[in-house]
Amino acid sequence: MLVYSAKRLVRSLLTLIVIITVVFSLLRLMPVEGYFSNFEKMSEAQIQNGLRQMGLLDPLPVQLLGFFRQLVRGDLGVSNIYRMNVPITQIVAEKAPVSMLMGGMALCLSLVLGLPLGAAMARGKGRWLDKCGTAFVVLVQAVPSAVYYLIIQLYGTQLPGLPLPMLFRAENPLSWILPTFSLAIGNIAYYAMWLRRFMVDEMNKDYVTLARAKGVSSKRIIRSHIFRNAFVPLVQYLPTSFLITLMGSIYVESLYSVPGMGGLLVDVIQRQDNTVVQALVLIYASISIVGLLIGDLLMAVVDPRISLNKKEGAR
Amino acid sequence: MNEAILSVRDLEVEFTLRGRTLHAIRGINLDVYEGESLAIVGESGSGKSVFCKTFMGLLDSNGTITHGQILYKGTDLAAFRTEKEWLSVRGREIAMVMQDPMTSLNPLKTVGAQICEALTLHQGMQGDAAKQKAIEILGDVGITEAARRFGQYPHEFSGGMRQRVVIAIAVACNPRILICDEPTTALDVTIQAQILTLLRALKEKYKLTTLYITHDLGVVANVADRIAVMYAGDIVELGTCEEVFYEPKHPYTWALLSSLPQLGVKGESLYSIPGTPPNLFSEVRGDAFAPRNPYALKIDFVERPPYFEVSPTHKARTWLLDPRAPKVEPPENIRNLRAVGEERT
Repeated sequence: MLVYSAKRLVRSLLTLIVIITVVFSLLRLMPVEGYFSNFEKMSEAQIQNGLRQMGLLDPLPVQLLGFFRQLVRGDLGVSNIYRMNVPITQIVAEKAPVSMLMGGMALCLSLVLGLPLGAAMARGKGRWLDKCGTAFVVLVQAVPSAVYYLIIQLYGTQLPGLPLPMLFRAENPLSWILPTFSLAIGNIAYYAMWLRRFMVDEMNKDYVTLARAKGVSSKRIIRSHIFRNAFVPLVQYLPTSFLITLMGSIYVESLYSVPGMGGLLVDVIQRQDNTVVQALVLIYASISIVGLLIGDLLMAVVDPRISLNKKEGAR
Repeated sequence: MNEAILSVRDLEVEFTLRGRTLHAIRGINLDVYEGESLAIVGESGSGKSVFCKTFMGLLDSNGTITHGQILYKGTDLAAFRTEKEWLSVRGREIAMVMQDPMTSLNPLKTVGAQICEALTLHQGMQGDAAKQKAIEILGDVGITEAARRFGQYPHEFSGGMRQRVVIAIAVACNPRILICDEPTTALDVTIQAQILTLLRALKEKYKLTTLYITHDLGVVANVADRIAVMYAGDIVELGTCEEVFYEPKHPYTWALLSSLPQLGVKGESLYSIPGTPPNLFSEVRGDAFAPRNPYALKIDFVERPPYFEVSPTHKARTWLLDPRAPKVEPPENIRNLRAVGEERT
């Protein structure tokens, strides 16, 4: 288990290094105005001077090495436009809690609604609940999220007797409802769809027939045989989905003007704050990698068939 | 003869498939006697598996018993509607060993846990008592180092070993009847004999009544006291092992025995029954086997034959046994079967 985890960790690190290099290189292709807040008013000499001070005129490998050194110290650099000379870690530390709190609530909501919905759909396969559930899943998956986010915002604020505010204010609990629900709805459909699918797959397996034949009640079969088996393939993707949700949604946050990570990303891209964009892209990429890593490790924990001690385990 | 433990009366089973009705079982009468070993043979699609699934309420959801009774210790199983009723029979009274051991165990639970589940359900054992009993049963089914194997997962067992575990689960239920649905089909030839020997030994030890479903006449000859030959959802011939092998009366039994590879002549192609089984979606008129039967009489196409009794233990459903029918001898190789059999043993 330890060997496997270590190997898996090293591979994740390698991936991360590749991603950092690519992101870093790509952003060097961006116009240099993204490093100055008052670019239009600066003379050519001032620009060159500024770039030299930031080390941006050094050869690329030197710059890259410097960047890695910085990262190892936990320093993401400073913002140049969004908030002059404020460390990016500080900006993120201010923005992340809102996103994470909202994401966490959305996650709870989607697990509490999505998994039971999926299980219920699988149990009553072909009946009305399954059909309604499938219709809901297809609708959410097929319609672009922008459309139903807008619908939720437009009609959610019109509910008679329940004045839900259009815009987010951290201190007003009512204003959390719509953005949280919007964040959750995609995951609800996603979890329900996959759980239903995997459960239906399992239900047709021979070991379920054998369990029935030995006299296990169908309730117990669902609970202690099918659910766990159906959960295995899900486990691999859940951590990534969790972490992505925790980091907030670009669209939902800008719709309700939530001061979170998603809104921040939109802001800095629009204002071409290169260093912040670079840092945020790195954060999102590492989250995906960490999510996949946790997923793989969890898989190994829940499924005894994945052998971790043999050589082929870590392939 | 012992008392009948299970009596099937005029059983009919239908399946609904895309709005059409398939008559899978067409009026079966059968008594299973306590302590015997009965083999149900027939080709794929003859309804032998469906027939046995009705005893445990394990029909697919589109299948229903439309007529008849299944009397087990005086209770009509065919009248069961709720899961609760079935739970009083499944495992506890009738247990099953399935065909493919590679897929019939839950991959995420240890072998021990799966045996203990049955022990807890049917013998009320918990914790250490269940564990001890499970290890004992594992030893009974021929698994060495049972205590260590108890905590292992199914993927750590070979196919033959898994089938032993499946059998252990069935035994742990402490049933009266054990249904073995093609218990050796998915196994290596070398393992097949071991499993059959094991099943025979367990039958003695636990006083089980065993029902074998198989298309392998070799298996049948090994284990069965009596044989029921099924064709197109009906039992066409029923008799003791001796009677069915050495004095078969139904042309379908003749054809089935003729297709035994052991009866083939070297250099000649193996015998196969011409034609295909009838379409059970439509009403079968007369004898279902008639269209493929070289000995078919005119009446075979018109009226379904009744059972003709050959001996108190032997009956067959063919008009050839009617006193008015012309005398027909079975094919020569069938008449030689006894000689072949004795030569081999």
